Amino acid sequence: MRIILVGYGVVGKSVTTVLARKYAEKVKDYGFNPKVVAIADIDGAVINQRGFSPEKLETIRQRGYPISADPEFGRPRMSALEVIETVEAEVVVEVTPVNIKNAEPALSHITTAFKTGKHVVTTNKGPLALAMPALTELAAYNNVYFRFSGTVGGGTPILEFAKRCLAGDRILAIRGILNGTTNYILTEMSQNHVTFQEALTNAQKLGYAEAEPSMDIDGFDAACKVVILANWIMNKKITLKDVERTGVRDVSLQALEEAAKRGSTIKLIGSIDGDKPTVKPTEIAKTNPLCVSGVLNAVTFFTEYAGEQTVIGKGAGGMETASAVLRDLLDIRHKLATKPT
Amino acid sequence: MKKIVMKFGGTSVGTGENIRHVAELVAHYARNDCKVAVVVSALAGVTNQLVDIAEQAKKGDEKKMQAFTKELAERHVTAISKAILNKQLQKETEKVVTSTISELNKVLTGICYVGELTPKSRDYVLSFGERLSAPIVCGALKDSKFEAQFFTGKDAGIVTDSNFGEADPLMDYTAHRIRLTILPLLEKGVIPVVTGFIAADQDGVVTTLGRGGSDYTATVLGVALAADEVWIWTDVDGIMTTDPKIIPSAKKLPRLSYQEAAEMAIFGAKAMHPRALEPVIKAGIPVRIRSVFHPDNEGTLITKEPEIKPTEVVKAVALIKDVAMLNVSGGGMVGAPGSYAKVLEVLGKNDINVMMISTAVSEANMSLVVRRSLLSRALSTLEIALLGRGLVSEVTAEDDVCVIAVMGANMQGTLGVASRLFTTVARAGVNIRMIAQGSSELNISFVVKEKDGETAVRAIHEEFKLDKA
Repeated sequence: MRIILVGYGVVGKSVTTVLARKYAEKVKDYGFNPKVVAIADIDGAVINQRGFSPEKLETIRQRGYPISADPEFGRPRMSALEVIETVEAEVVVEVTPVNIKNAEPALSHITTAFKTGKHVVTTNKGPLALAMPALTELAAYNNVYFRFSGTVGGGTPILEFAKRCLAGDRILAIRGILNGTTNYILTEMSQNHVTFQEALTNAQKLGYAEAEPSMDIDGFDAACKVVILANWIMNKKITLKDVERTGVRDVSLQALEEAAKRGSTIKLIGSIDGDKPTVKPTEIAKTNPLCVSGVLNAVTFFTEYAGEQTVIGKGAGGMETASAVLRDLLDIRHKLATKPT
Repeated sequence: MKKIVMKFGGTSVGTGENIRHVAELVAHYARNDCKVAVVVSALAGVTNQLVDIAEQAKKGDEKKMQAFTKELAERHVTAISKAILNKQLQKETEKVVTSTISELNKVLTGICYVGELTPKSRDYVLSFGERLSAPIVCGALKDSKFEAQFFTGKDAGIVTDSNFGEADPLMDYTAHRIRLTILPLLEKGVIPVVTGFIAADQDGVVTTLGRGGSDYTATVLGVALAADEVWIWTDVDGIMTTDPKIIPSAKKLPRLSYQEAAEMAIFGAKAMHPRALEPVIKAGIPVRIRSVFHPDNEGTLITKEPEIKPTEVVKAVALIKDVAMLNVSGGGMVGAPGSYAKVLEVLGKNDINVMMISTAVSEANMSLVVRRSLLSRALSTLEIALLGRGLVSEVTAEDDVCVIAVMGANMQGTLGVASRLFTTVARAGVNIRMIAQGSSELNISFVVKEKDGETAVRAIHEEFKLDKA
């Protein structure tokens, strides 16, 4: 299967690593022969229509930026859009940085891939948060697959769990801790009694939070995930503007201490049920399976027959997210193989 | 503040004076607490002329083509001079129209030289009607001191499949794009003027929406903008109980359900095509059909729920002329699976649309209604394909018939409607040739001799007290 990788940051690099590692095993066990034919980044691309060998991928990774400096395969200044339009491939893996203002350039990357008949795997929440109903419609119209399991829960298979493992059951509501950074901050505050600002600084030191932390602490990241869950699992055609959102900036130490006295704590909970989808700091009992510490994510599905099901896992990380990409690629490969021709 | 999408049909924008009137109407609502998005058709008759000239161009008739574009330019320039008073605006609008016509000229010349008219190039030619009318409406609005901006369906962001001539919008993708192009303007108080009927596929190639046309654009826009109502401005006061030409006491129907309105499609241009209703049905947005000439009349409101208290089971009765009836019979059809399918397949393959079907449980014959203009072709193709093969022994036709359709959602589950209906028809001395009623029970259609048509409609209209509505 020929793959165009768009975006070469932490996740992009991890994807090439995951694809290159134990190559023979993938072919033998899954009949999956991933060939990266192009990598496009902001300042150019590398293209090899026959596919880069695992060794070559490693060389590219070690040389670093700009990737287009490669003497043999480098294409300086070639844009990602041009690569998607002109390079032959089955799948585009879109892992550029998130932009929740207008979702670009990822949105154009994805629609162009669809138009040119390429399946898409993405870990980018931006396009999904702003245009998920549109993208699912466009993928169906162009008869291509669109997978994005890395957007929710990183490597933890939250979307697949609901879609596949709970198939046939009716999911009535979803609640969860969908952002690791804020969960780390709230855990620090309640367990070590530090202020919000101190906890945030710690998170930044440890690399859990960005220098510009708004995406996490104002609840945007969690809200994006709520949009994805609502569309994909509960068939609600919503976008980011439909989510009522409150971040964790105003959660005080005092409030946390008072909650502790009641045997509870405060978590940033994303919630979808009959009403308006929300993201807001919510008090939950410490005995609630959702009540996980540190950077963990946890999601509870409330189902009609199987009751409450909770999935817990690390919600971010390059290799973790790359594993989700691999899962999606295998899924597409399986779907293509079994598709009646 | 209410958000309203207003669509104006060809007659509403037929002349410069009419366009000025349209601009005044829009201005009135824009001044009175409404945010208005406008959808316009081509000037009356222009789309048909474009269809004709495209065919002429294919035959290589360059002279006719040149004469046509010249005339078209003159008509639009005259309209500009009547619709817009401000000289500067006149000039600007003329510039747009002139350059659009020169583009049309190039397209037609291309067709002349290639001698080929594909569905794709045909849609391109057809798109010019609206592309010429929208800037004039936009100019007239600016003349009334409103900020306005015109868009082609393509620029507005209406994305369809590539089924040229009958393209279907990709609704979610379209909504996403319209929210980026039109919505911000509307919220700022600018009046967007969008060409009806035309759109583009995902590669930006111009498509047309086909059946439903500009009404379809209006409802798509209504859904994408989450409008409070979609208004279809036309030259009649609304949907009537029957054709006022037959029965002068025909009344306007104040309210209809979506389902009923869809059944009324056979009222032709005076109603809405069911296809155009689809987007609003899903979103539950009301549609109002009203007259530009009587703007104080509220028109017909089409909503999810029909009016609260049903007075009569029958709401409207239509007379459909220009039809013909075919009877296909043969003992070989009895008990033979697929025999009806064969008849319909032959007609379908020859592009003959079947309007009505009736078969008896005896299976020995099948009656069909088709447009009268298609009768001889239908008859001939059926004979060639089916006679002498043991299945069908005879195909006969009657072309002196008409269809009467009786509609109303409350017929559903009401006992005795058919009995009352057919008793009425019998009392009027009219013989019924063929009957069809689907299990939805929203509509009973039957065929009578053409000369009896009006008598039957009059009797039904009276019996169900439609003039008292």
